[in-house]
Amino acid sequence: MSPTERPPGSTSAGRDPANLATLQETKLLEDLDSLLDLADPVPADLVDRIHFAVDLEDFDVEVARWESIDHMAGVRSHAGPSTITFTVEDLTVMVSLAPGVTGHRFDGWLVPGGPHTIEVRVEGHEASTTTADQGGRFMLDDVPKGFTQIVVHMAAPVGHRQRTVVTPTILR
Amino acid sequence: MSDERPFDGDDPPWWELKGHARHAACLIAARSGDREALKVLIGDLTPLVWHVTRSYVLDSAAAEDVVQSVWLTLLRNLNSVAEPRALAQWLITTTRREAARVRKVNTRTEPVDDDVLVQFPTDNGLPEPEALRHDRDRQLWAAFRRLSARCQDVIRLTVLAGRAEYGAVAEVLRIPRGSIGPTRGRCLGRLRDMMISEGGSP
Repeated sequence: MSPTERPPGSTSAGRDPANLATLQETKLLEDLDSLLDLADPVPADLVDRIHFAVDLEDFDVEVARWESIDHMAGVRSHAGPSTITFTVEDLTVMVSLAPGVTGHRFDGWLVPGGPHTIEVRVEGHEASTTTADQGGRFMLDDVPKGFTQIVVHMAAPVGHRQRTVVTPTILR
Repeated sequence: MSDERPFDGDDPPWWELKGHARHAACLIAARSGDREALKVLIGDLTPLVWHVTRSYVLDSAAAEDVVQSVWLTLLRNLNSVAEPRALAQWLITTTRREAARVRKVNTRTEPVDDDVLVQFPTDNGLPEPEALRHDRDRQLWAAFRRLSARCQDVIRLTVLAGRAEYGAVAEVLRIPRGSIGPTRGRCLGRLRDMMISEGGSP
């Protein structure tokens, strides 16, 4: 029986040496529990960014992952133009970010191409929406700064199910 | 009232519950569109997802993306996570798979399958945490980080799952449920020995 399942002192084995060992274990585990959060805390705004990312109208979404994290440094530090690539199954989303007038200019390319709808959600702002051309290219010239998520509503032939692909929150 | 609603009648709503009863109620509420309940789940269980991720992924930004991906992946699976107990297990398993995938991309190593995941080595290079101001905390943390990956996993998951659901751990680690306690006991014994041999108090 583990200490996490049975509170100390709740058994009849009060004077049992094994119970003393259990109490010591319980103490050590409690210390490790608080130590984990102290030594390697969850980053301050991570939960907020997740709350933003999941605040979607439709939950039937596929999650696009970073293809390479090497590309993220520039995006995260707002250090200038940088290209980020996401993939999910057969879809690749490439986005190049550059400073815009007040926010970011998004130049993107979806593979496979087609008239997919691209929605860029920014916390506290109206979403910016555009449609890719047949080659899969799209552009949004001034997207506000803040928590940002890209949502791709993929063009589906008539009779096929519409797929929606989302990225994690990509900027802060 | 309907028999299909498990928390009606005398059962308290999720905000009056604790531990996995709370998470079970939140999961059920989230399925029927309760955004607040979903947010509570994320708030309560992100530490579990975070620490499991960090045992694989050292880079903080990459680890954060893993945690986000796990929660986004849950959206689609809200209805297929069959029972409350399975939520912690689903989160741990999905996190390990996702974290191993990111680690593979970063390190360009061979593909990882589920069997290898269990023996996946733990990074021992986490930065010396400046947050630990007390000598004993530093000693305990240093000793913990020197334990085998297996021991760290057993301790980390049982401690964290204490906040969620203990039973998930046995299945995730593929240890018979009855062996978790003894295995963890041996690991804690090693931890105490290390503390004592360095002149600290266990």
